[in-house]
Amino acid sequence: MTLAQALFMGLLQGATELFPVSSLGHSVIIPSLLHWKFKQSDPTFVPFLVLLHLGTAGALLVLYRVQWIAITRGFFTAAVRGRITTGPERLAMLLLTGTIPAGILGVFFETRIKSLFASPYVAAGFLVVNGVLLLGFEQLRRRAERRAALESKPRAEQEQSFSEAERISFVAAALIGACQALAFFPGISRSGVTIGGGLLAGLRHQEAARFSFLLATPVILAAGLVEVPQLFASGVPVVEYLVAAALSGGAAYASARFLLRYFRSGRLDPYGWYCAAAGLLSLGLLALNL
Amino acid sequence: MKSNTLAIGFGILALVFIVVAALYGLGVLQILTSTTSGPHVKHAILFAVLAIASLIAANFTRERAV
Repeated sequence: MTLAQALFMGLLQGATELFPVSSLGHSVIIPSLLHWKFKQSDPTFVPFLVLLHLGTAGALLVLYRVQWIAITRGFFTAAVRGRITTGPERLAMLLLTGTIPAGILGVFFETRIKSLFASPYVAAGFLVVNGVLLLGFEQLRRRAERRAALESKPRAEQEQSFSEAERISFVAAALIGACQALAFFPGISRSGVTIGGGLLAGLRHQEAARFSFLLATPVILAAGLVEVPQLFASGVPVVEYLVAAALSGGAAYASARFLLRYFRSGRLDPYGWYCAAAGLLSLGLLALNL
Repeated sequence: MKSNTLAIGFGILALVFIVVAALYGLGVLQILTSTTSGPHVKHAILFAVLAIASLIAANFTRERAV
């Protein structure tokens, strides 16, 4: 992998990890469309991905630093006391509940599923599925808005009628966490399915995105930290990869800021249409081998 | 739901998870792993987290003297 390719991949990973458009799908499809020949089985590729993910997790930690301090405090207070009394304590326990199914499914099945489906054709197909899922989540939300007689109200007012992350049930948190396993299929977006799950649980769009980002942080961080020893293997261009990771972190930070602002009144629809169109276009280009 | 029986159950579950985490960490257990030798750090961490979660659940469910 050349330096320019590493930087491009860093930027792509950071920008697409938090957008509901599947970073894994893009990182499988785009190099294939560009006829880049680097092998994902190369021993330096895993350390590269590790650093990119650590960059993304670092960006999320910086973005939510104040909340993470409150959540960490809340976790220990509630765990020792055996009772939840504040919002951060409840959020800490909801995140733990959501992380457990994701962790179980990730540890036991992630590698198998990713290796089975790591083809650009499959990724493009799943990108179309991801688009349909996002559009479906929004259809269900619109139905909920109609049931609550909110369709004629302004968007900001519609959103205010829904809940915030601290108020969802523990069962909903576990289900949203389990939804993350769908993202092992390249083309299905982790943030897309968790934001969609949050919408089904009755969260506002912005709160669903916040819960999704908070839920992603421990999993991405832990998965990255476990692989850190691989960075010290011989032949790993650490400096180049660190620059790519910094780019990935910067792009992830900007993406998260944008999305949190966008979801004040925005919906998942544009991302759904984008995924469906990009998936179909990629399938066409791959089939024509252009 | 407060019940000392449930709390004891969670406590036992935590002990089981700790043992499984240790076995994965030492490379003794090789069930559902991608390689068939050596320690499995991810599996060990997962079961350690499950043990902690079980201990928290035990603390949440135990009955308290008023």
